[in-house]
Amino acid sequence: MASVTVDNVRKSYVNFEVLHGIDIEIQDGEFVILVGPSGCGKSTLLRMIAGLEDISSGTVAIGSKVVNNVAPKERDIAMVFQSYALYPHLTVEANMGFSLRLAKAPKSEISRRVKEAAQILGLETLLDRYPRNLSGGQRQRVAMGRAIVRQPQVFLFDEPLSNLDAKLRVQMRSEIKQLHQRLKTTIVYVTHDQIEAMTMADRIVVMRDGYVEQIGSPLELYDRPSNLFVAGFIGSPGMNFIPGTVLDALQPAFRSESGLVLPLPTGIPVTPGQALIVGIRPEHIGVRQGDIEAIVELIEPTGAETQITFRLGGTPVIASVRERFDKHPGEKVLLQMDLSAVHVFDAKTGARLEA
Amino acid sequence: MKTNFFTRLLLWTGLGLLLVWSLGPIYWTLASSVTPTEDFSTRPIHFYPQHFTFDHYARVLGISISRIGGVEVWKQFRAALFNSVVTSVAATVLCVAISALGAYAFTRLRFPGRQMLFGLVVATLAIPAYAVLIPLYQIMIKMHLVDTYVGVALIYVSAYLPLSLWLLRSVFEALPVSLEEAAQLDGAGRLFIFFNIVLPLAGPGLAAAGILTFLGAWGQYLVPLIFSPQVTKPLTVLIPEFVTKNFIDYGLITASGSIAIIIPALVVIFLNRYLVSGLLAGSVK
Ligand SMILES: Nc1ncnc2c1ncn2[C@@H]1O[C@H](COP(=O)(O)OP(=O)(O)O)[C@@H](O)[C@H]1O
Ligand SMILES: [Mg+2]
Repeated sequence: MASVTVDNVRKSYVNFEVLHGIDIEIQDGEFVILVGPSGCGKSTLLRMIAGLEDISSGTVAIGSKVVNNVAPKERDIAMVFQSYALYPHLTVEANMGFSLRLAKAPKSEISRRVKEAAQILGLETLLDRYPRNLSGGQRQRVAMGRAIVRQPQVFLFDEPLSNLDAKLRVQMRSEIKQLHQRLKTTIVYVTHDQIEAMTMADRIVVMRDGYVEQIGSPLELYDRPSNLFVAGFIGSPGMNFIPGTVLDALQPAFRSESGLVLPLPTGIPVTPGQALIVGIRPEHIGVRQGDIEAIVELIEPTGAETQITFRLGGTPVIASVRERFDKHPGEKVLLQMDLSAVHVFDAKTGARLEA
Repeated sequence: MKTNFFTRLLLWTGLGLLLVWSLGPIYWTLASSVTPTEDFSTRPIHFYPQHFTFDHYARVLGISISRIGGVEVWKQFRAALFNSVVTSVAATVLCVAISALGAYAFTRLRFPGRQMLFGLVVATLAIPAYAVLIPLYQIMIKMHLVDTYVGVALIYVSAYLPLSLWLLRSVFEALPVSLEEAAQLDGAGRLFIFFNIVLPLAGPGLAAAGILTFLGAWGQYLVPLIFSPQVTKPLTVLIPEFVTKNFIDYGLITASGSIAIIIPALVVIFLNRYLVSGLLAGSVK
């Protein structure tokens, strides 16, 4: 096990930069997930940690050793690829034992460690099969098995679940998390799926366009997103955003474009007339005994909870409630917002404003 | 897919023409090879042999020659068959080996002038053989390579290398790079990856390159006519020599021609097994 330190890392392809100075400190044994929209540079960063891409500037250290000029095979890491990258002409057993065979480990040890990993992943009966005779989920497990067998310092995963169907994805999510709890090896995991990130990670690194937007535990990101991007990216259904301005009044208050007036939490550094965006999560909007008039647009029951889209002035707002909802589209309701749960962002910079 | 009568007729006509076009000459060769010499001068020409004989094969293979009283061609034939096999096999093995290594370098290594160099090599395909024959001849004389196996094989290699290189580069480019990256992380070096991951997966491509080179080398006429006049004379040069000033030995030509077909046919049948696709199934996705 080892820590991973990414220090002011940049990556340029020919003449455009795709990573603009990334700083991440990953603790020994931590499960860190890099998340962000497609094309933001997650895979590039992961591949730089793996040694598959050159580092244009900055340093990557594994443990206390800077590995910029260390060959991938010397870095003591194992990677699980999105495409699995199983060797098609080798059996499951040979695939999993490949690295040990290369390291000239004794046959008995190879077979013991392969069996061990196979047992952890439930692959014992598949050892003689070829990858072409496995289902997607089984291939995914073999790819993980190949990584586990090596007992590396760090596991790197690049969207390992994105080729699986939804149900299997949920199952593998918990299996990977359990695996981490069991092996306690440092994991750097890339995904574009914020739910994967929220459910599995110790800490999440949210990236956009080659920048780190925020680093924090899943709930820190959820409860205190440091900017509009993170606020919108984390959570499903997403946070509601209501644009408006600061009212010129004694008590700081907010007036939305549609005329809705809300008090602002005290102590927030705002100036009258400043353009703001107020964010509120769907579960912080109540549908009973409120004082904010809205019109029901769409009702989507999921069983456990119901998602309701309202029109609040000109802005659509989604609430998700656990109680049963008996109104119909077109009807008027009085909403209630939990003001302690309101997030305030500067409309120009997108930065979170708080006391 | 549903096809109407007219479409089917068109397809079958096309197929028929193709079969006649490609199999017709082979049939004619085989039929002539079992026709007695006297029958070649009878008119009208018949589509199938009127009389049947193995005498031509007996002459080619040197079986009971005294009975027929023919000329001794078996020794020449045997030598030419051997020469054809040696030069074609050597050229094929060399060509596939070199182009596989080269194509891999062109696919995965980044070096300056990579694209241009590849373009130049492939562009040599457009140079007609006769344009370089004379300078080539001078070079071969200077290097004492005329009428040697090495010399002829090298000429074939240089002739088929660009095509093979081109073909194999496309094959390697189609292989998922993540496989090689996985092997790299697993601790494999470049050459290990090449021999243990890339080559096994490129089997169909290697087979195709092998078939192309072997058939090309086997059928060469102009090059060996000039560069293999005596000791290394192949079948393609020997067989036309059965035409003399006042007698064309059709029987001998077609009998030896029929035998000359067998070897490449066997090679193709053998390599064809490796042409199966779908070898990659299950590795990625
Ligand atoms: N070999 C390359 N050459 C040029 N640009 C690349 C290359 N690889 C990736 N990129 C660019 O770098 C950016 C980040 O890519 P990537 O790390 O794959 O994104 P992600 O994994 O977050 O979807 C993208 O804009 C992509 O187009
Ligand atoms: Mg990616």
